[in-house]
Amino acid sequence: MIDYSKVDFSKILTRYDVKKQVVETPEQVAAKMMPKDPLMKAVAEAVLYKKLKDIMPAMQAAMAKNKPDTVINEGLVPGIEAVGTLYNDHVYYLPDMMVAAKVMEIGIKMAEKEMGGARETKATVIMHAAEGDPHDIGKNIAAAMMKAAGYNVIDMGRDVPVATVIAEVEKVKPLFFSGTALMTTTMSAFPAEAALLKEKNLNIPLMGCGGAVNREYATSYDLGIYSAKANQTALIAQKIIDGYDWKKINEEWDNIVGGA
Amino acid sequence: MTSIKYTGMAYKCADDMVMGTAIHPVSEGFGLKIGAGQVIPEINYAPRPGTEKEPEKLRREYVDYISTDVLNRCVTAGFPAVHLETEWVSQMNQEKLSAPVVAGQKAVCEKFHEEYGIACGVRQTIPDQREHDMGLRPGMDTVHSYPEKFFQCCDIACENGADNLSVESVGGKEFADYAVTQGDIVAFLYGVGYLGSIDMEYVWSEMVDVAKRNRTVPGGDTNCSGANVAMFMAGGLMDLDVQKTFSAITRAIAAGRTIVAWECGAQGPDKDCGYEGIICKSIAGKPTTQEGKNCQCAHCDLMGNLTAQICDCWSNESVEYHPEFGGTSVQCWLGPLGYETALMNTAIQTGNAKTLRDLYCITDMTRSPESYILAYNNAYEIGQAMVAEGNDYYLRTRAAALKAIEIVNRGYEKKELQLTVKQKETLDDCQKKIEALPTETDKFLEYCDKEFAGVVPNYNLKNYGL
Repeated sequence: MIDYSKVDFSKILTRYDVKKQVVETPEQVAAKMMPKDPLMKAVAEAVLYKKLKDIMPAMQAAMAKNKPDTVINEGLVPGIEAVGTLYNDHVYYLPDMMVAAKVMEIGIKMAEKEMGGARETKATVIMHAAEGDPHDIGKNIAAAMMKAAGYNVIDMGRDVPVATVIAEVEKVKPLFFSGTALMTTTMSAFPAEAALLKEKNLNIPLMGCGGAVNREYATSYDLGIYSAKANQTALIAQKIIDGYDWKKINEEWDNIVGGA
Repeated sequence: MTSIKYTGMAYKCADDMVMGTAIHPVSEGFGLKIGAGQVIPEINYAPRPGTEKEPEKLRREYVDYISTDVLNRCVTAGFPAVHLETEWVSQMNQEKLSAPVVAGQKAVCEKFHEEYGIACGVRQTIPDQREHDMGLRPGMDTVHSYPEKFFQCCDIACENGADNLSVESVGGKEFADYAVTQGDIVAFLYGVGYLGSIDMEYVWSEMVDVAKRNRTVPGGDTNCSGANVAMFMAGGLMDLDVQKTFSAITRAIAAGRTIVAWECGAQGPDKDCGYEGIICKSIAGKPTTQEGKNCQCAHCDLMGNLTAQICDCWSNESVEYHPEFGGTSVQCWLGPLGYETALMNTAIQTGNAKTLRDLYCITDMTRSPESYILAYNNAYEIGQAMVAEGNDYYLRTRAAALKAIEIVNRGYEKKELQLTVKQKETLDDCQKKIEALPTETDKFLEYCDKEFAGVVPNYNLKNYGL
């Protein structure tokens, strides 16, 4: 190779990732967010620090002295909220978020078993990857984030026929349903799904997402809304709970997703 | 068809590798010679949404519009050769949709070749729709029959005039998805490096047979569903979903999987999005298609120049067909490809190929850990580590991963490559986990099966004939 020993690489490129890296530890960022009660703190920290082995004993100890729904709200939820903050602050990365969500799910299942039924969730949403499209990693990430944010997620999987999606949406009547597509020719399932819903007079927003989908396309038909990143989904969901319809979501989209 | 494993390097040293020349060049289509001293632009495209609904609409889109526009622009700008790539949309698993497209593109190429002497050909990249939960092997998916359709697509493509048969196969994808989202490098090594290689051997043995029966060139594959997922999620410098050191290691592992197509008799060029093709070329000496700065219509990576260093075809990845100010999108994106390859070919013709290669490489090698391991001299070292264990899918991908880690650490220690604290932590963590793995393949398989059964969604050894 030609001699590059005298090359000043700063004249060629800037490593902004190195320059702007966040050096705070999870412990420093999350310290103020942990519950004071030691039993709840142990539950929250098991989620925060992704301790798969610690969550079961921590849940058992907390539920021995508290109602299971209290442990969810005062232990698991503060834990996952701290994880969300760390993720948004660039201290945590996606695998941290996914493993923490898995820990939380174990805790939720234990609490629900104790309660004898499902916990109260914010709302139910349906997710699928479009008919003909086998790419579902984005949907899986968004589903994990939505579960962690307190939603009941019905995950229909990938390559789901239009009619099957609509039948499920008609039956469940979710807060919204999302479709992901990585190919230009599979995303055309979304307007077809939206049209079928309109025929049935169901005013349920359809969130179009995925590599091939852009905002212009996803909002080009009635009921269509858009999410560019997995972590925007819960922000949009909250607005639908607040009473926004698909048109208002689209009008205020920039403000809703903010910097997320 | 049996697979013959690479246990030695095609090139005596890294410096012998240059752009536009491969040890085993490929002739295909109408006068196209790939890897024979000239870099060829390779243009890839996607039809507009809705055109897949009717066979005639789709044929017109691909043949009358896209292919004709591409070849007309070659004439306009004076490009002597072009490789077209049609990545089939999923609906093309129906013969009524795909056959007219393949035959039509062939006819357009023939017409322009006869009229203008343009060297041209079409790579038909069939869709791999197989689903891990339904089954990867024929007879398993009773709902869609995707494995059967996969091989039917090979037949349709070759029987209707494909010049080059390629695919982006999905073996190991269930593990790749899990590994990337959970940050589990061992899962990637097992799923992509071992199971993915077994699937490659299975599908490529069949594909090579079909291609050869029809005088089609069996091209190659890519670990798009694994290493590229990792790379895209690692993203740009300020994207923070996956660590860039993690994606660098997945790229080295992917080389062990992608090269299986060539071990089964595929001839190249391999697929553009297989950035691991740089390592594969160093081992096999077959031509590689790469993509970089001229594929910004599809994505932004961190090695826009570097990937050009030893390429044989230079691709735009994919662009949706639509009008632009300067013509249609395929024409507008062919322009930069054509001019960039003209620069490369000028370098070759003036005896400056190695200088240009080095400039491409140096420009980007410190931009990310992944670009660093793919600098041609480093890629060559990974190739050497692989062939030393060439007969064993696990051991060779483990060796590739460890060599990539060593190279990144070396660059970091001599202050050539910067790493963030978290990138270095992830690198060290991966090293620790890989070094702790058994060095006997049987023990590794036993360990992974126990570790991942019931944990990785849709993990089923029957998908791999095991």
